[in-house]
Amino acid sequence: MELFLQQVLNGLMTGSTYAVVALGFSLVFSVMRVVNMAHPEFFMAGAFGAFLTITYVTRNVLGVFVGGMAVALVVGLMVERLAIRPVRGRYIMIPFIATSGVGITLQHGAERLFGSDPVLVPPVIPSVSYNLGPLSVTRMQLVTLATAAVLMLALRYYVRNTKWGRATRAVAERPDVAAAFGVDVNFVSRLTVGISALMAGAAGVTIGLLYTSAWAFMGLLFGLKSFVCMLVAGNRHIEGVMVIGLLLGVLEALVSGYITSTLRDAVAFGVLVVVLVFKPKGLFGSYDV
Amino acid sequence: MSILLRVTDLEVMYGPVPAVAGVGLEVPEGEIRAILGANGAGKSSTIKAILGLLKTRAGTVEFQGRPIHGLPTHRIHQLGIAWVPEGRQLFSTLTVHENLEMGAFARGNGARFPAKLDEVFALFPQLRERQAQVAGSLSGGEQQMLAIARALMAEPRLLLMDEPSLGLAPKVVRRLFEQIQEINARGLSILMVEQNARQALKIAHYAYLLEVGRLMGEGPARELEASEDVKRVYLGG
Repeated sequence: MELFLQQVLNGLMTGSTYAVVALGFSLVFSVMRVVNMAHPEFFMAGAFGAFLTITYVTRNVLGVFVGGMAVALVVGLMVERLAIRPVRGRYIMIPFIATSGVGITLQHGAERLFGSDPVLVPPVIPSVSYNLGPLSVTRMQLVTLATAAVLMLALRYYVRNTKWGRATRAVAERPDVAAAFGVDVNFVSRLTVGISALMAGAAGVTIGLLYTSAWAFMGLLFGLKSFVCMLVAGNRHIEGVMVIGLLLGVLEALVSGYITSTLRDAVAFGVLVVVLVFKPKGLFGSYDV
Repeated sequence: MSILLRVTDLEVMYGPVPAVAGVGLEVPEGEIRAILGANGAGKSSTIKAILGLLKTRAGTVEFQGRPIHGLPTHRIHQLGIAWVPEGRQLFSTLTVHENLEMGAFARGNGARFPAKLDEVFALFPQLRERQAQVAGSLSGGEQQMLAIARALMAEPRLLLMDEPSLGLAPKVVRRLFEQIQEINARGLSILMVEQNARQALKIAHYAYLLEVGRLMGEGPARELEASEDVKRVYLGG
């Protein structure tokens, strides 16, 4: 029982990071019908941003988050301008290919800049752990969970309760009508990709700090898994994507705790296959493309 | 009387096909003008070109004496043109209240918002009780009311209405046209596209007859109503 609870707890910590990355991915897809294949690179940019900030600027935790998220934001706005805005509204494969191209360029650009070996992200969060009865949780895990919780609640608030959030939902449903009521759809595009980049960047910072490393291709597996979360949940409800992200983390932790950690990365794809066979539109429904 | 909207020699392509070929029309301040014609006559394309949603290939669109063709759609709206699209096209996952807030998007949710909301609810009282409901759950008639209410929230100078009667029961249509007349009586100019020529001619001051993208005739609504040609072609005998 203790092992079970401990694994659930660990899983929630990782899962919250999946959820954050998947949410941005899903947000961009539902608002602009663009599968942004460069999204995982926002996550990678966040981790390198953390590395650069710690190395050259500050070891203050908040500062490191700001630095990582800022780097991700710059990369995000670049991708929006180059590969999303010019092809928005076209047949779905066109932005898919355009963003894939930019994504690959970003990976190899990072490899050029930082080398193909992981760089060390110096630890800025002391490795302290707290005991909750029989369970233990590290400070790093708490930071991860808190970051994810803040980002998810902020996104929910933004989408539901703000003027631009409402406009974003309007654009998601009917871009032409939204434009005819004064919404600058290009601005919504920048805003949406920017938000997704900030979120993925923050996730990149937490993962960089957790593994004390950043590398050019770290987005691949993480990005694929967040893609899986979106497909499994469907992109209609952001709450659905949050839940699936958390569940995936838990499921992975249980598989590595009870079966073998070598199967850990297979969990997401196994779940995907099963879900797509029985519910091709995802568990909570999807927009048609 | 000053001319609010002037369209001159408008040409619009719909893909590779010309949808509008050399249409000219005017909307003077305070009038209801109608564009009549069958399906595929280019009525909607004309409206969409005015809104900047379709590119014009040739011709000009002037609003209050200022050329607006080529401007992005959101800028055209900000100048004072609101749209009631064909088939309502509500934001169906947003609530009724949120749809009305979207209507006022360009105006901002300033101090005048509640007063404007009351004004719109006075015209369409059913909407008041349904504010918290998602727009997609309304009946057809209520959806049309919301589509108009949403446009009115923008406090436009000109209202473009695309097939407001489409898919509504005759009784609902009659009531709707009364409401449109009421809106016009309060000083809002309207350009309306309709297949239901009989109803449209009853409330319009002036109408244009469109056939496969070309203007086939125009005139005061009373004269058109009485004309034998118009009766045969547009009013079904």
